[in-house]
Order: sequence, then C-alpha cells, then structure tokens
Amino acid sequence: MADLRTVAVATSMVFTLGFVCFTQPGFAQQPDSSLSGEALKKLSIEQLMNLQVTSVSKRPERLSQTASAIQVITQEDIRRSGASSLAEALRLATNLQVAQVDSRQWAISARGFNSTTANKLLVLIDGRTVYTPLFSGVFWDVQEVPLQDIDRIEVISGPGATLWGANAVNGVINVITKDAKDTQGLLLSGGGGTEQHGFGTVRYGAALGSRVRARIYGRGFDRDATMRTNGQDAADDWYLGQGGFRMDWEASSASRATLQGDLYDGRISQPSPGADIAVSGGNVTAKWSRTISGKSSLAGQLYYDRTHRDIPGLFAEDLDTYDVDLQHGTRLGARHDVVWGLGYRLINDRIVNSSFLAFLPAHVARQWFTGFVQDEIALVPNRLHVALGTKIEHNDYTGFEIQPSGRVNWRLSPSGTLWAAVSRALRTPSRIDRELFARVSADSFLAGGPGFHSEEELAYELGYRHQQGSLALSVATFYSRYHGLRSLEQVYVNPLAPDTVVIGNGQDGESYGAELTADYRVTDRWRLRAGYTELRVRVWPNPGSTDMSRGATESQAPDRQFFLLSSVDLPAHLGLAAWFRAIDDINNQVVPAYAELNVTLTWRPTSKVECSLVGQNLLHSRHREFGAAASPTRRDIQRGVYGAVAWRF
Amino acid sequence: MAFLRVTTAVLLVCAARLGAQTGKASEAQVKAVFLFNFAQFVDWPPAAFPDTETPLVIGILGADPFEGFLDQTVRGEQLRGRAFQVRRYRSVEEIKTCHILFISRPAGDRLDEITASLKNRPILTVGDDDGFAERGGMIRFVTDRSRIRLQINPQAAEAAHLTISSKLLRVAEVITPTGR
Repeated sequence: MADLRTVAVATSMVFTLGFVCFTQPGFAQQPDSSLSGEALKKLSIEQLMNLQVTSVSKRPERLSQTASAIQVITQEDIRRSGASSLAEALRLATNLQVAQVDSRQWAISARGFNSTTANKLLVLIDGRTVYTPLFSGVFWDVQEVPLQDIDRIEVISGPGATLWGANAVNGVINVITKDAKDTQGLLLSGGGGTEQHGFGTVRYGAALGSRVRARIYGRGFDRDATMRTNGQDAADDWYLGQGGFRMDWEASSASRATLQGDLYDGRISQPSPGADIAVSGGNVTAKWSRTISGKSSLAGQLYYDRTHRDIPGLFAEDLDTYDVDLQHGTRLGARHDVVWGLGYRLINDRIVNSSFLAFLPAHVARQWFTGFVQDEIALVPNRLHVALGTKIEHNDYTGFEIQPSGRVNWRLSPSGTLWAAVSRALRTPSRIDRELFARVSADSFLAGGPGFHSEEELAYELGYRHQQGSLALSVATFYSRYHGLRSLEQVYVNPLAPDTVVIGNGQDGESYGAELTADYRVTDRWRLRAGYTELRVRVWPNPGSTDMSRGATESQAPDRQFFLLSSVDLPAHLGLAAWFRAIDDINNQVVPAYAELNVTLTWRPTSKVECSLVGQNLLHSRHREFGAAASPTRRDIQRGVYGAVAWRF
Repeated sequence: MAFLRVTTAVLLVCAARLGAQTGKASEAQVKAVFLFNFAQFVDWPPAAFPDTETPLVIGILGADPFEGFLDQTVRGEQLRGRAFQVRRYRSVEEIKTCHILFISRPAGDRLDEITASLKNRPILTVGDDDGFAERGGMIRFVTDRSRIRLQINPQAAEAAHLTISSKLLRVAEVITPTGR
C-alpha cells in the first residue's frame, strides 16, 4: 500500500507542476520560443539558422535504426534531468534496466539478463567499444564522459549484432559527443552537495586554422559513500580526475576527420585499510570519413584503449585494446543500398591473480576478425523497405560465428511506420566463462568451463512508431528464445573433495515484453517524456544440467518500470523539471519495488550563466535498487541534494 | 495497479492536448520562412518573369510538408513590386511558371528524373533529402541538432542561369557534386 501511495503522490506532483504553470497566463517571453510568423520573417538568414526548431526527435535515417527499438536521449534531456553521471542519464531510456548497485557500480542491461556483470549489451563511446573481455560487460565507474559534452545517446534494445560489434545481443548504447565546433569558448562549471560532494569541469574550445576546431577539458569529482542495509556508512566514497581533447577537421565538404582522447585516474575507498581500489587509463581514437559521390561513402576508424584496475589482495588487470574498422556504403541501381565493413581487434590482457580469484592463463592476447554486409532494398521506394544482412566473426574461442538479421520497415502514412525484425545474435565466450578459477568458500570452487560455447538468441520484434506535430510515440514488442545460456553445473568428484561448480551452457530461456515511449511537447514551454516497459524473462535448465539457479544468477530485472520527465520553462529565466521513476520488484533478489523522484530547478539569468539546484532520489531517505537479499555487498542509495553553476565565455 | 494508473494518466493528458496545437516555431514554419527569404538572395534571368504582373511563384512538388505556414508566410508580401504565390504540383509536367520549387520527400526520391526534366529552366530547387545537393538539387535544408543549416550547390544554380547571392553562400555549406 505504501508504494501505491508514493506513486500516486509523486504522479500528482509531476502533473500539478505542469498544470499550475500552464493555466496561468502572463508568461515572460523566452528567447527562441513562441515566435510568430511575422517575427520570424524579420530575422536574418543567420538568425534563422541559429534558431532552435521544435521538431520532435528526428527520425533516424538508417533503416537499421528505424526498424529497431531505438530511443534517443538528447543533451537537453540530460541537462533537464539533473543526472550526474552517464549511468544515471541512461535511466532516461526506458528500454534499459538501470540499477545503482553502490557508489560506483551499476547494473545496466536491456531486455533482462541484468547483473553487475551484465554481458549482453554493447556500449560505444564515439565508436569506441567500452567492454571488458573479462566478462563481456562494462566497468561503469570509468566511463565518466563529461555530460555537457554529450550530443545524444542512442539506445537500441534488441539485437544489433549485424551492424554493430560483438556483444550486441540485447542492445546497443551509442554515446555520441559534440563536434568540437559546438563547444567553442570557455566553460567553467562546478558544484557540490550531499551525495555529489564536489565536482568541477574546465573546457576550452578554439579554432586551429580555418577548417580545424578543437577542445580540451579537465574534470574531477568526489562522490559520497552509500549505506549498508543496517544503516552504517559503506565507506565506498570515491574520486576520479579526467582530462581529454577532441579535434575535428573539415577537410572538404565531402571529407572529415576526428582525433580525440581521454586520460583518467581514480581511487575508490574500501572499508578495510589499504584496500582502496585504483583505476586509471586512457584512450585515443582517430576517425575519417569521405563521401565519394552522392551514392558512395567510405569511413575508417582506429583506436587504442588502455585500462588498469587494482583491487588489492584480490585482482589486478592491465588491458590494452587495439581496434581498426572500415566501412563502405554504396547505392546499387535505384533500389539497393549496400553497406559492408571489416574490423579487427586485438586485446592484450594481463591479470595479477590472487588465491581467491584467478584467470588462467593470467596473460592472454586475443584477436577478433569481423565482417558484415547489409543490403537495404526499396521494394516500394520510401514506403516499404527490407534490409537483409549478416555479420561474420572469428574469435579465438569458438572460431567462425554468423549473425544474420532481416528487417522490414513499412511507412503506413507520413506519420506512422510499422517495422518488424528477425535476428540471430550470439554472446561469445569471455574470459570469465572459460578461464575463471575462484575459491567461493573454504570448501567450494567455481571454475570456468573449457567447453563453454556461445549463447544463442533468436529474436522476433514488431514495432510501431508514430510522429505527429509535437508528439512522438513508439511501441516495440519482442519475443526472444535463448539457447545454451550460462549455467552453474555441480560437479561431483568424491565425498571428500571440495564442492566444485563448473560454468556450462546448460540453460535455455525466453523473454518477451513491450517497450513504450512518448515524447510530447505540450506547449513551447512544457515538455513531457515518458516511458513504460513490461518484461518477462524465464530461464530453465536443460535435461542433464545440474543448475539449480533457474536464471537467478543470469537475469535480475524488474517485470515493469515507468518513468516520466516533465520539464517547464518558468518566468524570470527559471526552469523546473521533475523526473519520476517507478521500478517493480526484482523478485529473485528480493529487491522491493520502489519509486523515486529527482527535481531540478535551473536559473539562467543570461545565456552565459546557469545555476541549478538538484534533488536526487527525494522520496525516501534511502532505498535499494540491486543486490541479493543475503549479500553482504547490498547497498542502500541515499537521497541527495547538490547545487551547480556553469559559466560560458 | 499503480503502474496502470500512472500510464492511463499520461495517455489521457496526451490525448487531451493532441491536435489542440503544435509548436509555434516548428521546423515546418522556419523552413517556410527560409523559402520566402530565398527570393531576396537569388537573381532570375529576365525570361523568368515575362511581364511586370508575373508573381513570384513558390511551388511544392509532391506532398506539402508546410502545414499551411508557407501560404501564411507569403500572404500580402511583395518583392520588388511582385506579389508572391504558392502553387502545388503533383508532377513535373504541371510546372509552368515557377521560381522556387520545394521538392518534398517522396518526390525527391526521383530527383534525377525531376532535375533532368527541369533541365536549365530557371527554377531554384530546394529539398531536405539526404544528398539532395550532391544529386543536383540547389539548396538543401539540413536539420542538425535542432537547427537548420543550408547546403548549396552553386554549379546546379549556374546551370539554370540563377545567381545566388554571396550573402547566402557565405552562411551555407557549399557542395560540389563529384563523380558526375
């Protein structure tokens, strides 16, 4: 009952916010909004070009995206939400399951199969895969992209394996940062509060010659610890410093190049002295693209990424990743749009093992070769398009793997599009599946399975997208069948030997559900963004498997979730945004359902200064989002308040 | 239950406001104003205006994406003593006197055919399709991060004996078609 009440109270708050503001006339004029036709005609061409137009989120241009469950988080959404990290901003995509585990760890996945080591999601930052070959997942604590620099985040739920890299089994997150030409001048921002102790960013952008724009930035933050379930401080507070640059060169109207890189260094406190976790790393990416003619284009990318993590007494890792990709798109005849590409990746992973946790061998070099081709066929130009494609990958564990997909995009009317897709996607083995050796307790072991093969998914999707005036609606439904999911097989040796559990492919599963999103500009000053997801995941052991978990270790996700972001521009250069979310319980972890609210008040006295006051997780003094009930590492997330100021020169 | 209630509330609010109004500085409206403004930045050959009474015609080929804003924008306007007129065409054959032609999306797919049949007629072609300017269109609207940029293909304009003012070229991205 208590939960129901909270939801009702929060909802009415969110709506009242909007209604109170809009039933009262006499608003101050805001720049760029509510310009009459007459006023528009008085503007110069330059002014027209600088005008922010209120088109609803742009229709993605590629069919691979339009025929998929894509949601786009814009810079404006991030700014209004008051999110303080990339992981938190991802809560704006309801087709993701996002749970904060402790002060720095997040469990993020799409279409279920969530855990702190979620392994079915591909995350790219400006084309660079942020992925650990240890468990095919993401260490979210070192993906601290400065939020002001993000242009948009594209979140695709469902398999994206054909066009994107390995791992895009249940979704792709594509973080795209701003072009250097959009971050010119000096930006100083900083602030602090209860959970976000302190943070600051300096960014400077300038022109280097007539065709090159560049920016450099430096930032740092210090975040408070979370709480143990008994109310004691969990002592997991942490800080991170990061710096980087980006250069964009418009060589000609047809060719452009980008060079960018980052360096970071951080330290995460632990309760026992001397056990603080050290993280550091850096990356550099070079990209080049050229339009050969109106019908053909070529793009190349090269990156190097280095990451270091030291958990004293348990584990240390140094990982180097080298990656090169090439992509060519060409139009063949009137009806065919063909894209194909090649990629190569080399990783060099060095682990310092401990007596509790080991990867054997400790030092590996592994390589991946990938190729893909997709043909988009205009059966009825601009009305009915079909895309057929496949990815072929070679990895050192399982050799050649094929991941085909077929997609149909049918534009029913100028405003409505129906799409459907069938895909096969694979989650190829990672080091944890084959090379792990862990002492779980004095008399039990967990070991990787030398015969572990790829997990297979067959996904069927059907969706509809509608865009009319200031409203954009989208519904995506899906059914997926999984074969050979990871299982924990009990191995009997003899009564005196320790219990041994070996990783196998002994489980099958299925998932189905629906993802709804709506983006609605109610008036020029009031915007709503809402999302709702229903999800069911079922995992069962195959005959012969001794796994008893029934998916509890593989998928930890709520059956449903809802969010609503309501943001209004108020008189006197004020803005107010309320971001409400309600997440159902995760029953295999006994994490209760919860509802939370973030509220952001902003004041922009001039276009150069912005002050904001943000309340995070306001409905409860503390709540939990993830972690098994009996786990000693389960943490409570606390209510937080912070203030921030940003100057632009 | 609680979830249902919240969702219903959202849908009700959306439904109630739907159709009641659209954004005032919408993309369609700004593009309509651009089209109107282009007239000031382009010089047509004398033959384009047979007499002093000939209006300046802005045509739309294919579906009209402007939601009535184009008619609203040019209503009562004059340029060098000429009135503006908006005309809509279903096919290229219907186009007689026309000075600025917006080629909307479905029609834009047959751009090659359209430019071939318009060949050398002094009509400023405008569109927003990908690669519009590369494929022989003269001005393309590019919506980029909620702002509208222009791409101009001056060669195509020259071929049609149109002169685009350097003031407009300066703020646009100049496209030079290659490989044709």
